[in-house]
Amino acid sequence: MAAINLDDSVMTTRLDSVVNWARKNSLWPLPFGTACCAIEFMSMMASRYDFSRFGAEALRFSPRQSDMLLVLGTVTNKQAPVLRQIYAQMAEPKWVVAVGVCASSGGMYRTYATLQGIDRVVPVDVYVPGCPPRPETMIYGVMELQKQISRESLSARKEHIERFYQSMARQEELQRAKGLTSYQVVREMVLEAGAAGGQKIW
Amino acid sequence: MTPAFSPFLPVLLLFLIALGVGAAILVVSGKILPGLLKPDNPQAAKLTPYECGAPPLQQGARHRYSVKFYLVAMLFILFDVEAAFLLPWAVQYKTHLGTFWAMLSFLATLLVGYIYVWGKGALDWER
Amino acid sequence: MVIERIEAQLPGAILERHAFRGDETIIVAGTRFLEVVDLIFGEGYQLLLDVTAVDLEAPDYRFEVVYHWLNLASQARLRIKVPVAEGASQPSLVSRFKSADWAEREVFDLFGIPFEGHPNLTRLLMWEDFPGHPLRKDFPLDGGDLFCSQDIGASFAPEARSLNA
Repeated sequence: MAAINLDDSVMTTRLDSVVNWARKNSLWPLPFGTACCAIEFMSMMASRYDFSRFGAEALRFSPRQSDMLLVLGTVTNKQAPVLRQIYAQMAEPKWVVAVGVCASSGGMYRTYATLQGIDRVVPVDVYVPGCPPRPETMIYGVMELQKQISRESLSARKEHIERFYQSMARQEELQRAKGLTSYQVVREMVLEAGAAGGQKIW
Repeated sequence: MTPAFSPFLPVLLLFLIALGVGAAILVVSGKILPGLLKPDNPQAAKLTPYECGAPPLQQGARHRYSVKFYLVAMLFILFDVEAAFLLPWAVQYKTHLGTFWAMLSFLATLLVGYIYVWGKGALDWER
Repeated sequence: MVIERIEAQLPGAILERHAFRGDETIIVAGTRFLEVVDLIFGEGYQLLLDVTAVDLEAPDYRFEVVYHWLNLASQARLRIKVPVAEGASQPSLVSRFKSADWAEREVFDLFGIPFEGHPNLTRLLMWEDFPGHPLRKDFPLDGGDLFCSQDIGASFAPEARSLNA
């Protein structure tokens, strides 16, 4: 149970821990599998490592029916607006786990085609390194996410999600203004952010 | 003074309690609990149709479709109602020529319509 | 051997030939290319395996478009290279070989070599309004993203903290 903070009312804290307990033990993943990490994810779901022990039996390939976006594999610059759209369509509460080095930082692909880490375009909660990470590593990553969820508070606003939706609005505005495709707009936003010193566009 | 209680007063009481409990359930599960628990962040992007993240191929699901679906539905209703009229007539029919010819004239009227529809090709699916 | 037959029937078409451990390669001038293709099609080389290109930055021509054929009957392979100058286009083989369709689109996308007669010459791997042609030698590997290839710029690491804290 969460520690009782004397500044909050006791009722809120207890509700927080019940709600967080329910949320962290029923994380339904959206496997955004693009490359080899998705194969390791498949073996994680299979009987030996059995990810469904963590309440994640229900693999929903729809953003409306899942709460954890598992990005498994390399995300190219062409795929970046697709990933943003899927994250935007997910209903809250939602979390993102970047599985593998390609999703975390671009991995071994330091090129024009590969997005150098999905944290440039979507907010990420847990990074799981590995190429690919073993199923136990991925399970450890999700357990870290569970620890983070149990520390959450119902009343706190999720600033990163708000910033993300603001960046989606900026992206749409730029698309309309410049008449470019979403791919080129996101690429330009990433390059601009990189030139300015930071990397995130959200 | 003993007022005369209606024997149905308990029923009214039960009805009111049922209404109250129902309303309480609705209010708690519809307003109070969501008010506490829901992450209130309505965004336009969450309402867009899911097309695997790609921009939508056509504007919404209201794209054009063939009128043959409407025709089939309409013709079905007509002839189904005709059959519905036939059934009670058939139940109380006792051999009487007048009743027979009355129904036959009704069917003949609809037969003319059927021949017209057939001739016009509205029954051809592949048009 | 098919190369001898090409030399006999189309003299002057082959500019150069070489072989390496069983791989036969001929360099054909762009103007004679379609005749050579029709000839080898008749000889049984009917499966076009791949169309690709090399950016040589050579003095007289810049690119070399490389075609690979397989003769299914004799299991013999043939490589034909066609020198293409900067800005020049190649005739498309889509009418003869369906496999040329996307292969030529890929070459157009990554090198910028147009193919005349292609039914749908649009970018395949990169997005429609991508600026530039990535596999040309003057295109930077990181595509203009300095953080990608060099150790400059801020990384996200100093800010890394739990978003849910």
